[in-house]
Amino acid sequence: MTNSVLDLEEADCILITGSNTTEQHPIIGTRILRAHEERGAKLIVADPRRIQMAIHADLWLRQRPGSDVAWLNGMMNIIINESLADEEFIANRTEGFEEVKEAVARYTPDVVERISGIPQEELRQAALMYGQAERAAIVYAMGITQHTSGVDHVKACANLAMITGNLGRAGTGVNPLRGQNNVQGACDMGALVNVYPGYQVVTNPEFTQKFEEAWGVTGCSDKVGLTVTEMIDAAERGEVKAMYIMGENPVLSDPDSNHVIEALQALDLLVVQDIFLTETAELADVVLPGCSYAEKDGTFTGTDRRVQLVRQAVPPIGDSKADWVIICELAQRMGARGFDYASPAQIMEEIASLTPIYAGVSYQRLEEQGFLQWPCRTAEDVGTPYLHEGQFTRGLGKMHVVEYQDPAEMPDDEYPFMLTTGRNMFHFHTGSMTRRSAKLEQESPEGYVEVNPEDAAELGVSDGEQVKLLSRRGEIQAKAWVTDRVPRGLVFAPFHYAEAAANVLTNPALDPQAKIPEYKVCAVRLEAA
Amino acid sequence: MNRLEALRNAVGELLDKVEGVIALRNKSGHVAPHLFREREELNGLGLSPKYPLPATLRLIQNEYPEAKLGIVCRGCEERGLIEMAKRNQVELGNVTVIGLACTADEAEECRCAKPYPSVLVDAHVGERTEPVPDRVAEELRQKEVAERLSFWRSQFDKCIKCYACRNACPQCFCPECTLEEELWVERGRVPPPFPSFHLIRAMHTAGKCVGCRECELSCPAHIPMTALYALIRQEMGEMFGYEPGVDLEDQPPLVLPMEVEI
Repeated sequence: MTNSVLDLEEADCILITGSNTTEQHPIIGTRILRAHEERGAKLIVADPRRIQMAIHADLWLRQRPGSDVAWLNGMMNIIINESLADEEFIANRTEGFEEVKEAVARYTPDVVERISGIPQEELRQAALMYGQAERAAIVYAMGITQHTSGVDHVKACANLAMITGNLGRAGTGVNPLRGQNNVQGACDMGALVNVYPGYQVVTNPEFTQKFEEAWGVTGCSDKVGLTVTEMIDAAERGEVKAMYIMGENPVLSDPDSNHVIEALQALDLLVVQDIFLTETAELADVVLPGCSYAEKDGTFTGTDRRVQLVRQAVPPIGDSKADWVIICELAQRMGARGFDYASPAQIMEEIASLTPIYAGVSYQRLEEQGFLQWPCRTAEDVGTPYLHEGQFTRGLGKMHVVEYQDPAEMPDDEYPFMLTTGRNMFHFHTGSMTRRSAKLEQESPEGYVEVNPEDAAELGVSDGEQVKLLSRRGEIQAKAWVTDRVPRGLVFAPFHYAEAAANVLTNPALDPQAKIPEYKVCAVRLEAA
Repeated sequence: MNRLEALRNAVGELLDKVEGVIALRNKSGHVAPHLFREREELNGLGLSPKYPLPATLRLIQNEYPEAKLGIVCRGCEERGLIEMAKRNQVELGNVTVIGLACTADEAEECRCAKPYPSVLVDAHVGERTEPVPDRVAEELRQKEVAERLSFWRSQFDKCIKCYACRNACPQCFCPECTLEEELWVERGRVPPPFPSFHLIRAMHTAGKCVGCRECELSCPAHIPMTALYALIRQEMGEMFGYEPGVDLEDQPPLVLPMEVEI
């Protein structure tokens, strides 16, 4: 997030898109609803499904999945035409506006309606509502990113915020909500293909040298590695021989599950480190038992760059160990030097010494202050609640021209429905934890598919009946939930359930830049089971 | 002497007479219930935020029914203890109560009708402050039924079915809860179906709810459900002349014992 969870409550207008906030980030959802209810902040929700937030919104835009570039460009076009653009901000803080202005001019309300299905008047109202707000925040999640045009969707959000000057102040910003408690921290620590901790790129020799010196090694790779999705393909081709998977369950979470299983089986060695024997761990040659949050000390870095301590409440159960202990012991047995940390606090000292944005973070400060938000560059730095005040990281904010493209696989005669996948309130991700909870299973014990009542009637399917979903990649069976949460032609399936795994169906087509798969759109056929 | 020091003294004195005192403890910037056993621990004693300590007493008594215990109680916690005792959830014979009066600000925040304990108390800490009327409930009472219905619908539409209201409630101790029964509340739906989930809870706390507001304080959706329960409490008073949490001897009208053997 450019901004903080807390300062969403200062926004005058909040635009939520591709985020089922109350179910997936319930506490953030609460803050947004409180801003809406108590301060009268305008709430715009753009989502193909009538999610809980849509009930409360001042305006609910029901776009077709994957059409986000079109309606976001369309909003910008109206904002520019209505003279609601922040000319001073554009002139002083950004570059590339003229090109964007020219491009979005083609996204007239009628063009947008044709692509996205959003009525022209509603688009206009949304543009005015967002454009007229003194402080407007954009909140998004996987509904924006999990597309072959995911990067373009994000750029369009950034353009919209820049042309209205909604960056660098409290209550504004471009705010992706990250899906796991510490996925921000994992990225910050360099668990990405192209960076060392703190986003120091591996292709810059200066950084490579810095880390080689600190670690007393030579030969750190200066090549960008394979992304998660590319690794699976490389494993299938025999180019990746061994894989060590920690705390992830790609058999359920990656697209095209059957293909993932084949690829993992083609490996010479698969090591899985997890707190439970997941569907992926079942395929492993070696399983290393990690321990849960309650059994270890450490930090989590949340979606708004907030570093907080997690404290051990009980000793590790069984043979399990904290992830850092397992990694260190493994490294030591392989003869590596330097993996002799006494505690997570000591590891944080090393992080701070090598990672400028974490340089001021220490366990002592976290203990005293509760949290620190990066960038936190010195021991005196109080941290950064919102980014880009006065200046962007690169100097001027760059606007990118983005054009609408169809998702990789659109419905056709053979597969006439669009499938979009996601989650529900009661399960987390692949259910490796939540499906082991009796109370959560009681609420939502089996896979289902949301089907519009008119579609269900045509198919001869009643609420609660089993239906078969087929795509070009596989088929699953699930219970039909006949509901107007979804519009005609669209079906929704959560991917939590191994026995009705939605990712058997999904399309492994990737965004060309970020390599994120298109979980949110593929073509399926429905049959009564 | 401020309230915290006064409370520390009172708990310290009581520790000489009982095996432990249930109160709040500050640790690592967080507050949680704690069974104080030694005077040395009292540096960590906490005052706020308020927390349903009677529920902690119940847990400890389940394991150690004979233990001689002390407990720090605000007005609402004392009322809660009285209702719990009537339903055999706590045994007050071995329990000594240190009463803690709420500040005027705390009473205002909770819209509390009796922000101090007075019935079970053995030692008093803090000055009594004035009762505060529940304005949210009063405003609702003035409204037409249709208006009230639409108010509650919009409030309950915010519910994420986390069950925090029930889990925080000192009076919700049923081993099996109707809110989890598919027959009454369709499972797996967010928000839960209107109005079954919330009205079942309102009906099931009638005659027990003492307005401690733990449900509301723990609700991530900020649903002002205490106002609804206050309206029901008023109706109960008018219908049965019963006010929960006031008198240990007064039998609750909805759980009267059978007078004849069957």
